[in-house]
Amino acid sequence: MSCEQIRLQIGADPAESNASLEEHVRECAACRQFREEMRTLDANIRRALEQPPQPARTPRVASVWRPWALAASVLLAMLAVLSLWLLRPSETLAQDVVAHVREEPESWLMRQHVDARSMDEALRGAGVKLDITSDRITYAQSCWFRDHYVPHLVVQTAQGPATVLILRNLQVKGRETFHESGMNGVIVPAPEGSIAVLTRGGASMDTLVAQMQQDVRWLPDAP
Amino acid sequence: MTQLFESMRPDLLRFAHWLARDRQLAEDIVQESLLRAWRSRDTLKDRGAARAWLLTIVRREHARLYERKRLELVSLDEALDTQAAETGSGTDGDLFTLRHAIMRLPIEYREPLLLQILAGFSTEEIARELALSSTAVLTRLFRARNKLRTLCGMTPAPDVPASEVAP
Repeated sequence: MSCEQIRLQIGADPAESNASLEEHVRECAACRQFREEMRTLDANIRRALEQPPQPARTPRVASVWRPWALAASVLLAMLAVLSLWLLRPSETLAQDVVAHVREEPESWLMRQHVDARSMDEALRGAGVKLDITSDRITYAQSCWFRDHYVPHLVVQTAQGPATVLILRNLQVKGRETFHESGMNGVIVPAPEGSIAVLTRGGASMDTLVAQMQQDVRWLPDAP
Repeated sequence: MTQLFESMRPDLLRFAHWLARDRQLAEDIVQESLLRAWRSRDTLKDRGAARAWLLTIVRREHARLYERKRLELVSLDEALDTQAAETGSGTDGDLFTLRHAIMRLPIEYREPLLLQILAGFSTEEIARELALSSTAVLTRLFRARNKLRTLCGMTPAPDVPASEVAP
């Protein structure tokens, strides 16, 4: 079999093993290396698929449905006005923050501190930097939240893990505290948005909130 | 039977989510699929085959919705492309990159890959499900992984020769 045929087999299923394939990779170093790379890639694909994807944008309706889409838009607009009337924005934001944290329960379990590169990746999408490089940060992801990428961090404190969401572009009028689903949280205004801090139980968040307000740098050219 | 179906909801939701790339849509698809499954539960003779059966229903429901509503899923932002392409290899950042790369795979490549990896289907089963030849499935799986290699910054393998590509 040719290298192209072997690579088609490997690329289609890196775990595949049969006599002719094994004989070829024994003799061909390039195909052997290709298989190693593909098996590594495949293991990573499996790990990546373990978690559901970050939400993509909502589907766009094709032109055939445009009149219905228009009607639906009007209805949605009316509902949105009603929602605004029923719920203060800060309450809705708090609920969304709690819902997001509940969707990533593994974040509370991490114990190893994240490296500088992972931190940078988590922060880059939101156009912020942290002045500290703390070994107490054990989780750092860039999460899709309310149409923006926001850094989602978990900081180990003396009273247990605390979640921090740096919410660029999401303003609050003043400090808001909330208690929901066994979590206590606070959202505080920041120069370019707000910062949410959550804990489970009754741990005090004041120190961490103050530290974050001081250490988050809001870059001028945010994405 | 209800318990059996419900116990598989997380798997179905994950599969639907990767297919539809939209959480709300995925939930709708799974809900509709479970209703369909319940209505035709008598056709499931072997409870051990329930998972594959349900995943097949989810895939078909997604395809049906896609066709019925003529949905055109919006591609991800250019910013996301740049962000995903910049990351190297060997860290958790890789998974972030890879997740976004998988999301950006066209459906004709993403679907067989999900059927193979998440549903555990063989090439022949995928071919049957997608009404393709086995060669075409192999080609799509090869290209799916090759695209992911490229999107993750690895050197792509030469594409399969035209003679290998079945319709």
